[in-house]
Amino acid sequence: MANASMSPTSSAAWANDFDEWRTQARRLLHLGVPPASVTWHDGNASHDDLFSWQEPPSMPPGPPPAPIRIGRDQLTLLRNAARYRVEGHGQSRWPLLYRVLWRWARGDAAAMHPADVDGRVLHQRWHAVKREAHHMHAFLRFHRCDDGRGERYLAWFEPAHDVLDLGAEHFADRMGGSRWIIATPRGGVSWDGSALDYRTPCPKEWTDEARTAAERANADEEHALWRTYFVSTFNPARLNHRVMTQHMPQRFWRHLSEGDLIPMMEAKARHGGQRLAQESSVGRRKGKALPGGRSALPRSPSGGDD
Amino acid sequence: MELIDKLSILADAAKYDASCASSGAPKRSSRGKAGLGSSNGMGICHSFTPDGRCVSLLKVLLTNFCLFDCQYCVNRRSSNVPRARFTPEEVVRLTLSFYRRNTISGLFLSSGIIRSSDYTMEQLIQVAKLLRETHQFRGYIHLKAIPEADPRLLEEAGRYADRLSANIELPTLTSLKTLAPEKELGTIHSAMGHMRQRIDAANDDAQRDAKRLPRSANPKRMAPIYAPGGQSTQMIVGADATDDRTILQSAQHLYRDFRLKRVYYSAFSPIPERPAGLPQAAPPLLREHRLYQADFLIRGYGFQAEELLNAPGNLDLEIDPKLAWALAHRDDFPVDLNRAEPAMIARIPGIGLRSVQRLVDLRRLRRIRYQDLVALRCRLETLRPFVVTQDYRPADAQRDSTRLRQSLTQPQPAQMALW
Repeated sequence: MANASMSPTSSAAWANDFDEWRTQARRLLHLGVPPASVTWHDGNASHDDLFSWQEPPSMPPGPPPAPIRIGRDQLTLLRNAARYRVEGHGQSRWPLLYRVLWRWARGDAAAMHPADVDGRVLHQRWHAVKREAHHMHAFLRFHRCDDGRGERYLAWFEPAHDVLDLGAEHFADRMGGSRWIIATPRGGVSWDGSALDYRTPCPKEWTDEARTAAERANADEEHALWRTYFVSTFNPARLNHRVMTQHMPQRFWRHLSEGDLIPMMEAKARHGGQRLAQESSVGRRKGKALPGGRSALPRSPSGGDD
Repeated sequence: MELIDKLSILADAAKYDASCASSGAPKRSSRGKAGLGSSNGMGICHSFTPDGRCVSLLKVLLTNFCLFDCQYCVNRRSSNVPRARFTPEEVVRLTLSFYRRNTISGLFLSSGIIRSSDYTMEQLIQVAKLLRETHQFRGYIHLKAIPEADPRLLEEAGRYADRLSANIELPTLTSLKTLAPEKELGTIHSAMGHMRQRIDAANDDAQRDAKRLPRSANPKRMAPIYAPGGQSTQMIVGADATDDRTILQSAQHLYRDFRLKRVYYSAFSPIPERPAGLPQAAPPLLREHRLYQADFLIRGYGFQAEELLNAPGNLDLEIDPKLAWALAHRDDFPVDLNRAEPAMIARIPGIGLRSVQRLVDLRRLRRIRYQDLVALRCRLETLRPFVVTQDYRPADAQRDSTRLRQSLTQPQPAQMALW
C-alpha cells in the first residue's frame, strides 16, 4: 500500500473509453489513491480546468507492484457498465467503476453483487446497455440505395448508450456481403463486405445519405408491402397499448416505417374494429366458401412418392 | 391478384397462430460469405403491433384455401373469406426484402391443406429449400408440420427449418371430434413423436461430434441437422369448454413425452362467419396470461400441473398461480432465505428465478437481509408474508390465508361516492 506521503489530497483523471480508464485506474490503485480523492472526467486531459487539480504522482521507484486480478465475468460487467451514458451535467461514468474496483481489490467481493449498494447500480447500468443493444438489433432500419456505387443499405439510429460497436458486429454477421452504413448522432460505422470502419464524429455525408435514403424509401414498393403486413398481422380484438409501448418505447417510432400507422390502428380498433380479429379491409373483400364433400383426407395418399 | 393484396389476406389469415419466436437457432453467420442472414439463439422482436405482440418473423400462410372444416378457424372451407395463394418465389422475395431492411429475423410459414397433406407439405418445404439452397439464407425458418403428411416429408422439412410445429389446437378428443372433424389427435401425436426422435438423434450426434477431437480433423460434421430450435404447438383457449386443468395437464404431457420447446396458448378471438356454438365474446386474455404463468412454473420452477390445480377447474384470475399455491400451502412458509434449498426459494411468490440465483450467490458472501430483496427488486408487497431474513420475520405469518389474500388483492380503501 502506498504510504501517506504519496497519497495526494485530490487527484484528477481523464478517460475517453474503458481501456484508458483501466490504465488510469490500475495506476491509481497501485498508488493507493482512495475513490473519494479522485475526480474523474470524460475526455482528454488537454483542456484547462477551472480548478488546478494536483496531478497524481507517478509510479514510485522500486519493484513493480503486484498485479490486480479480477475474473473475466467481473471485467465484462465493468466494461459493459462503462457503456452507460450517465445523464446530468458534469456526471461521469468512471467514479462508480473505480469505487467498485477499489473495494474489490481490498477483498470486498460483494461490491459487484447486484444486491450491493454499488453493485446494484453497476448491474442496472449493464442491464440498460444490454437492452439498448437489443433495441438497436431490433429497431434499426436499413434503407436500400442504388446509386453509381451499386447497392448499399443505409441506416440512421439514435442509441441511448454506447452500443454502436455491438450493433455493428451483429449486422456484419447478418448482412453478409451487402455494403452498409449506420449513422448515429455521435459516431458512424460502415461495412464494405469485409471490414468495419468506425468514425467519430459521424461524417456529415453519411448522415445526409442515411436521411435521404430514409425519405426516398417512403415511396418505394417494399415500404408499402411492409406497412401492409404490419396492419394485417395485427389482431384488433387484442388491443393492448401498454404492453406494446413497454416493449417498443415511443422514441423509436419516429424512425420506423410503420411508426405512424400505430395511432391510426389503435383508434380504428377502439371504434368498433375490436369486435373481430380480422383486418377490416380483408373483411370487405369478396369472400369464397369452398365446396365440401371431402370430409376426410386419405392418411397417406398413394401419390406421395411420385 | 397483386402481391400486396395476397400479403394482406395471407398475413391476416396467419395471425391466429400465437407463436412468433425466433429463438433457439444455432449460431450462424454470413460474415465473409455469399448469402444473407444470421442467428445466435436469441430471438429478436423487430416491432410490436398495437395488440402488444412481437413481430419477429414474416408470419404468413402459403395459401388459405383449405379442405378442412375446423369450426374455430377463419380459413375453414365453409367460411366465406377472401382466398389467395402465394407462389414459393413470392414468399422468398418478401422474406429476403424484409430481412435486408431489418424488419424481420426470418419466416414462419404455414398453410391451409390443399390437394393433399403431402402436396401441402411439399410446397412448404419448397419455400424453405429455395431460401436455404438458392439464396443461402441463414435466418430463422419455422415451418408448420402437417401431421397427416408422409414421415419422409417431415424428415426433409427438419433439414431446412429451425423449428417445426404441429398444432393440437384442442386438447380433448371430444372437442376435436365436434370442432375439427378432419383432425385426429393420434395422428398429431405420432407426428410429434417422429419429430422428437429425429431431434433427439440429431442432438446425440451433435454431442458425439463435439467430443470427437480437433475440429480440423473433423471438418465435416457427421450429424445431420434436424430442427435445432425444437418443436412447439398451440392450444386454443376459450373456443370449447375445456378447463385449465385439462389444458395444463396436456401441456405437461406434451413437454414430457415429446420434449416440446414451447406450448403456446391462444385466446380464441371472434372470427367473421362464426359458426354456431362458438363464443362471440372478447378473447379471454387474462385467462391466457394465467395459463402462460402456470406453464412457466411447470417448465422452469418445478411445479406440477396438479399442484397448481388440484381439482378440475380454471386458474384463479384474481391472483397469479404461484401466489395461489403459496396461500394454499401456508405450512411451508415462511421460508428462511439464509437456509432454504434454492428450489424452495423459487416457490416463494414475488421471487423470480434470476433472484433465486442471486440470493444463493449472495449468501455465500454474507447473510441475507431484507434490504437485499429491495435491492434485487423483488415484489416486496407479495413476498412479505412468506420470507424470513436475518433481520426480518413477517408479522402476519399467523394470519389465515383468506384474510391474507384479501390484504394482497384489495385496492387501497377509498371514500365511497355518495350518489
